[in-house]
Amino acid sequence: MNDAAQRLGLRPGMALADARAMYPALAVAESDVAADRRLLDAVADWCDRYTPLIGLNAPDGLVLDITGCAHLFGGEAAMCRDMLARLAAQGLAARAAVADTVGCAFAVARFGAAALSSPSPLVGESLPPARSGGRGGGSGSFAPNVPHSATPTPDPSPQGGGEKNRGGAIYNCALVPPGEMRHALAPLPAAALRLAPETVEALAELGLKRVADLVDLPRAPLAARFGEALVRRLDQALGREDEPITPRLPVPSYVAEQRFPDPIGLERDVLATIARLAAQLGAAMERRQDGARLLQVALFRADNKVYRIEVGTGAPVRDAARIARLFADRLTMIGDACDPGFGFDMVRLAALVVERSEPVQAGLTQAGLAQSGFMQGGFICPDDDAELSHLVDRLGARFGLRRVTRLVEQDTHIPEFAVAALPASGGRRTEDRGRMDQILHPFSVVRPPSSDPQDSLSPTRPVRLFGRPEPVEAIAEVPDGPPARFRWRRVLHEVAAAEGPERIAMAWWRDEAGRTLTRDYFRVESRDGLRAWLYREGLYGRETPAPRWFLHGLFG
Amino acid sequence: MSAESSETLRALRRAVADLTASLPDEGGRLISLGIASIDGALAGGLACGALHEIDPAVPLHGGAAAGFAVALATLALRERGQAVWIQPDFVAIETGALYGPGLDLMGLPMGRLVILRVPRPRDVLWAMEEALKCRAAGVVVAELASEEADLTATRRLALAAREGGGLGLVLHHDALSRSQPTTATTRWEVASARGERDRFGGLGPTTFALSLVKNRCGRTGQWRLSWDHHERAFVAAASSLPVAPAARDGSPARVRAG
Repeated sequence: MNDAAQRLGLRPGMALADARAMYPALAVAESDVAADRRLLDAVADWCDRYTPLIGLNAPDGLVLDITGCAHLFGGEAAMCRDMLARLAAQGLAARAAVADTVGCAFAVARFGAAALSSPSPLVGESLPPARSGGRGGGSGSFAPNVPHSATPTPDPSPQGGGEKNRGGAIYNCALVPPGEMRHALAPLPAAALRLAPETVEALAELGLKRVADLVDLPRAPLAARFGEALVRRLDQALGREDEPITPRLPVPSYVAEQRFPDPIGLERDVLATIARLAAQLGAAMERRQDGARLLQVALFRADNKVYRIEVGTGAPVRDAARIARLFADRLTMIGDACDPGFGFDMVRLAALVVERSEPVQAGLTQAGLAQSGFMQGGFICPDDDAELSHLVDRLGARFGLRRVTRLVEQDTHIPEFAVAALPASGGRRTEDRGRMDQILHPFSVVRPPSSDPQDSLSPTRPVRLFGRPEPVEAIAEVPDGPPARFRWRRVLHEVAAAEGPERIAMAWWRDEAGRTLTRDYFRVESRDGLRAWLYREGLYGRETPAPRWFLHGLFG
Repeated sequence: MSAESSETLRALRRAVADLTASLPDEGGRLISLGIASIDGALAGGLACGALHEIDPAVPLHGGAAAGFAVALATLALRERGQAVWIQPDFVAIETGALYGPGLDLMGLPMGRLVILRVPRPRDVLWAMEEALKCRAAGVVVAELASEEADLTATRRLALAAREGGGLGLVLHHDALSRSQPTTATTRWEVASARGERDRFGGLGPTTFALSLVKNRCGRTGQWRLSWDHHERAFVAAASSLPVAPAARDGSPARVRAG
């Protein structure tokens, strides 16, 4: 429903047939809740440029905590103007209100238009007489000590918004001065307090239509009659009770950002900016002895698209050069997916997850240790660990942390599960391994790490294992015996020597998965020198009449 | 040839090697293979801070080539350091992924190995260069199955290896990649050889037929070596074959066939 429809007297909730009867020429479009939601998310993303703390006020409102942010934009009024002007340029109609509390800002933004125009606690802007379809609402946010927060609310009906704003730069912006909530709220309808419709109706029946009618009533009877919710909403709006904002995105512990009057588009410039920001971030983290485990760069494109690029690290990092390198690697890999378009007008670097990181003594370099003879004795050199973890981070940044793995032995006798590839970035912590064991094999018994259980002149396990055992045609001289020859990948191999079988039975609790067939493993050497690990699936005669053969791995 | 001209020749050789970065730094760490004739040919041992290529003689012997790389890595990591093994995705599918227990038995503990799987073959070169520059990586093994490793690329790798001081091993998979000239210090062709049977007729030690086809530090040659995974050392094949202790023979886990 757009403004024009609103002016004609149509209301949400009206039957379509009634509306059509009034205005046969009405254009009707299906409401797309999901698309509205996406738009709201996109706008919320975009609003990130003003403050990191943004809450959603579905279906069509946003709450921004602008505590301590407004001065960066020249004050609250200027910030609202800037925000609304930019939204208008995108074809969105929005209304903003700034107040000490979320409740008050909500009320003023959504219900304030008509009532507030005369007593004018507003700044400079004139408000259009009609509200945007009952959909454009707004609310404000609140911070306990420092008052003042702003809330723009996009109107998710672009036609309506475009229309209104094409008419001229009229911005719906209301600023409630600190402490003036009561005054600002008084003339508003009771519904502005975010009450349930039934409560509003019940209040109206008693003639309590405005907030002013409620404010001075005794609290106890009010609560008894209409429920605690009413009193709480009233308190929240007036700032007697705290109301936290649930942020959409995690609020980072450390943020550094840079804005550009003219958008930048070259990768080189972006990387240089990230390096500068990393230096600021690093200095801030060093003061509090923190290091980042998860970093995010947000690139705000001039046409209001936001790219967020995250990089995780294995150990806390605060070294600017390292952070810059990580993002350089990540960006090369992302490549075209991050299209600068007309350029980025803001870059923000944030540390999303931080960990305590003790200061490291500089100068204890590898060369120094080598001289003192420390390294020969098999001492673990701290520098080595740090260097390797940096390498792992960089490879992980470029290829994804899941691709850089360490093999960790698992306690099972089934060959393909005997080892798990875990991300290497977590470091070599034994407690992690224990936990993984517990998750993967809750019923397992602890066994010492692999020692060759069989005494053999060559290793009993292959160096390469096929993720999916490859079927081979094999001929054995006796049904239970080793293969005499086998055909693998269309080549016939004559077996020169074989050892086995090593009988490996599947776990009984896998019965239902149907993988119950026992395997007889043979290590074979062919006449050509191929050393392979073959198995026969199923015990002949007992489990299956025709066992199949597979090649599972290759020996060194 | 007079002493003077041989001196000139050596200086020229050195200059060329410097340009191509194919000779390891003098005085760098050398990894002895434990076989006098091979160490002699390599002027002391396999040079760290340099690039070495390992080719399977025929694709069938890819497993043996990998085994030889694991053996060299084991020797290089005797004292300290970590191995980084870089594998493109399709190589892992085609020839099998690295299997920890098998590496462990060969002598390369899982705790000292970082495995990187890259999506595209050309990522291998970038990753290997980065890994070689890292001083903590004692050995970097990269599997290549394409012709990407040309002279320029391998020169970059050799310089990176010199910077980091680690042992760079390039494991080839097909003939195409082998025909290219590279700046590697040595190139080994590895075939799997049939080991001696143990005295019960069972499988003998892992045996390689090695052919050193390129060697910037000395002469080429051919050897047959076995890898003793208990001692973690090479032994010349068919000379002094260790004998399995008889006491273990009767254990039920060791049923012999064939």
